Amino acid sequence: MTTRAQTLSRCLSDYLHHTWQSPTDVTDLARIPGGASRETWRCVARAAGTARGLIVRIDPLSSLIDTDRRTEYLTMEAMYRAGLPVAEPLLLEEDSRWLGRPFSISAEVPGCEASPEGIPAGHRVTMGRQLWCLLGEIARLDPLALGLDRFMSLPTVATCAMEQLEYWRKVIVDDELHPNPVADAAVRWLLKHPPPPPQKLSLVHGDYRTGNFLYTPDGTIKAIVDWEMAHIGDPLEDLAWSLDPLWHWQQPELAGRLLPHAEAVRHWEEASGIELDVEAFRWWRIFASLKGMGIWISSSEDFHNGASKDPILAIAGWLMTDRQQQILLDYLRPAPTRRFHEVMK
Amino acid sequence: MIPRGADGIRHLAARLVADIAPRAGDSYTSADLNMMALLVTMVAQDYDRVADVLVSDYNDICEIFHEALPHLDDAALASRMESVVGLNAPSLRVHDQSTRTDAALRVLIELHAAIEDLEDHGLPWAARLNGRIWAYLARYVARRTYQMDG
Repeated sequence: MTTRAQTLSRCLSDYLHHTWQSPTDVTDLARIPGGASRETWRCVARAAGTARGLIVRIDPLSSLIDTDRRTEYLTMEAMYRAGLPVAEPLLLEEDSRWLGRPFSISAEVPGCEASPEGIPAGHRVTMGRQLWCLLGEIARLDPLALGLDRFMSLPTVATCAMEQLEYWRKVIVDDELHPNPVADAAVRWLLKHPPPPPQKLSLVHGDYRTGNFLYTPDGTIKAIVDWEMAHIGDPLEDLAWSLDPLWHWQQPELAGRLLPHAEAVRHWEEASGIELDVEAFRWWRIFASLKGMGIWISSSEDFHNGASKDPILAIAGWLMTDRQQQILLDYLRPAPTRRFHEVMK
Repeated sequence: MIPRGADGIRHLAARLVADIAPRAGDSYTSADLNMMALLVTMVAQDYDRVADVLVSDYNDICEIFHEALPHLDDAALASRMESVVGLNAPSLRVHDQSTRTDAALRVLIELHAAIEDLEDHGLPWAARLNGRIWAYLARYVARRTYQMDG
């Protein structure tokens, strides 16, 4: 065990002892690879004769995305209450005195994998159906009935698209290390061709895609993870993000490497009760790629400035920026190669 | 000095993947090492091409400016374009070349926005120039593409 893990084990034991009012022993602490927005650890906590697997998400010094831990935690609580598959949120601690930074703790979902590479080929279609049906179910929920407006800003149907565009435009302007002529062209196109208002406002996960769910070896999705960019907005935003070509780079014919795009859209339409507006969807697909650029540019800036030395930030800034630019270029140029257009409905 | 630096850097990446990452004590460290190896393969590609990318970009942008200048009514923008065309980088170092190309790209972005507006007014030369800018952007993206295995 590393020194960091030993210290963390001891600090977590102290914290849980204090919080649960029972002596607690934290063991088997191991950092989980892949988490780019929070430092994520798995451990076992033993208290009052009971052992429980926990996931600890610690605020980073720097991350891919500047996110709000409270929004993430409260959204997970709301989803858990609504019966959606999310890990049970247990504790939110915003006082830095325990671990040096704020953190949250949720129950471990046992026996699960997260790696897209590990998805058994025989389960891809059924997992794809689950993935887009679940997204449709999230879109069907009423954000006000869930109380999401208590901790999220509530846009109007008229403003939600442009608010998101302005947010990510500003991220790019603030964080870019070099000029980005393709991203700039995308911003101008999006401003010039605003989408029609959504049929309804929904909870938007913000990073809904293959890689952000936990599944068992029998192909059952047990938990949707990484809710840190959740907000209220147009449900097409999540659908477009989930279908961005970046998530199926090696297998462009399979949405999220799982099933044909038209099937993914059909499952989403059936579960959400929303008929896809093709023109609006085009806007959100271009927006999704621009948002991707914003995330990769921002992470690149963090790496470059030494705010984080995590290699995942550098990969995002180099490889992901390269691929996202290829996608945006193909969407926008007057004579597209249509490498990515076939996936539009 | 390593004249065949890109090859050497690729060898380092291969050693990281084949020999060092498998000996990592935990999955987090292993994942970190594999990501570093991936980054090193990208550095190898940039090592070989970066000077060509930056100089080619600058030259392409200057050609676009030469074509646009006779048509533009915006004197301030035209002046910024002329300044870029006359820029000399103080050295061939990547930092200096990058600074010059970035300056050219910033003005190109301004020109592109202006040309799009003029094209909306039905000016054929603007449509032609817009096509040239997009053709350049395709080269810009292609020059930065990383070749990855798998």
